[in-house]
Amino acid sequence: MLSKTKKEIWAVRGLNLDIFEGEKLGIMGRNGCGKSTLMRLLAGIYSADEGKVSYSRKDCHVELLSLGVGFEGNLSGAENAVLNGMLMGKSRKHMLERLDAIREFSGLNEFFDMPVYTYSSGMGLRLGFSVAMETDPDVLLIDEVLGVGDEVFVKKSEEALKQKFAGDRTVVLISHDAATIERMCTRAVWLEKGKILAEGNPAEVAAKYHQGVGAYTN
Amino acid sequence: MTFLQQLTRYKDIVLYRTHASIKSEARQSYLGYVWFLLEPMMSTAVLYFAWSYINGAKGFEAILTILIGMVAWGWFESSVMGGAGSIKAKFHVLNQFSLPKWIFPVVTILVNSWKSLFVFGVVLAMAAAKGLIGVHTLWLPVILLVQLMLIVGLTLPISIAVTLMHDLTTVISSVFRLLFFVSGLFFTASQVKQKCVEGNTPGLYEAFLWNPMAVLIDAYRAVIQRGESPDFSLLGRAAGLALVFLVLGLAAHAYFDKKILKLTNV
Repeated sequence: MLSKTKKEIWAVRGLNLDIFEGEKLGIMGRNGCGKSTLMRLLAGIYSADEGKVSYSRKDCHVELLSLGVGFEGNLSGAENAVLNGMLMGKSRKHMLERLDAIREFSGLNEFFDMPVYTYSSGMGLRLGFSVAMETDPDVLLIDEVLGVGDEVFVKKSEEALKQKFAGDRTVVLISHDAATIERMCTRAVWLEKGKILAEGNPAEVAAKYHQGVGAYTN
Repeated sequence: MTFLQQLTRYKDIVLYRTHASIKSEARQSYLGYVWFLLEPMMSTAVLYFAWSYINGAKGFEAILTILIGMVAWGWFESSVMGGAGSIKAKFHVLNQFSLPKWIFPVVTILVNSWKSLFVFGVVLAMAAAKGLIGVHTLWLPVILLVQLMLIVGLTLPISIAVTLMHDLTTVISSVFRLLFFVSGLFFTASQVKQKCVEGNTPGLYEAFLWNPMAVLIDAYRAVIQRGESPDFSLLGRAAGLALVFLVLGLAAHAYFDKKILKLTNV
């Protein structure tokens, strides 16, 4: 029997969205509303079957924040940090220069030189987060990930993300939690079935979202 | 972005991943790097004991004949089969980072190539110890290059096809099992020729020579064992076939690169 390929589903269609340089855009919506597909389109992981995604600068470095994806269990934290940074588009040299900072921020101490298979899941997230904080993309795409790890590291990682939000980097945060977007973003979009239902001030969009989301929930 | 531009842009990541994969593989077992050599040696030993009873060919010559076949075949099979499944195996990574899909098959090929080169070195040392190495051995890099082209050429389109249709893995495994028996790993091209002459089936010998792996294995034996030049017309034909596959593979990757994640059921 042949493996079936996916049925034709349009996760995002007819969407017209501008993202401005330096803004912190929040995209809110329920599970399955097309948020992750939109992120992958923006990151260049997917191509658009219709329409196009264009950037004002040709060499724009867009990165989807992912924690610990692609780690090799038999390699040390340091080796994985370099490997992971390279997957995010940075050079080996760039990552080697930042190894001390990653070691410091992750708080992994001697574990940084040990194989990743010896890490707890929290330690893996800490390493992943610390690597992501050293890759400096022009556009940072964050999919539901904010604070990670234990209590101390949650504070530390939230603080680091706040700094990313405070700078002039473009950040797109997607979340089903409207409160987070209200707190962190300067503009918001409510996405439903791959289309924009509301756009503008985060507080206003959040209010519309709370009011209207029930109609779309089964 | 053309393939060459991509190659320049992603060469660091390909090399670092290759280096990391070799290290990671070696750390997974107690014997580490020794396995790279031990694996073909063990397969050779098994084939030698079985085959020497059947055709009576014994001693260093017979061992070297099988060993050359096994090393060339091992490189071919592990690269193509490993590379074929490598896109699917790294789906979680490809879903998070914008990377060209050929990176993972190429890394698999480079890892296996490095291991095989190491074993080829040992085979050469063994042949040298028996005084078999001569001026014709200088053709070895050319034969290695043709095999590398064949491996890359086959792996690229197969990696796309297998990702889109998982069932092909079983089909390709069966084809490889068949090729294992008809590529002259434990018999030589001259033995095939002789049998075909005796049996009055020249077409069969001609078909045998259309198998690029059979041609390559015989070419290795010619330059390492027999002190002869390889058959350049057959080697050229194998290189031509490899080039056709390579072009097909590059076209398939260019077309499916950004589409394949959306088309696949993982």
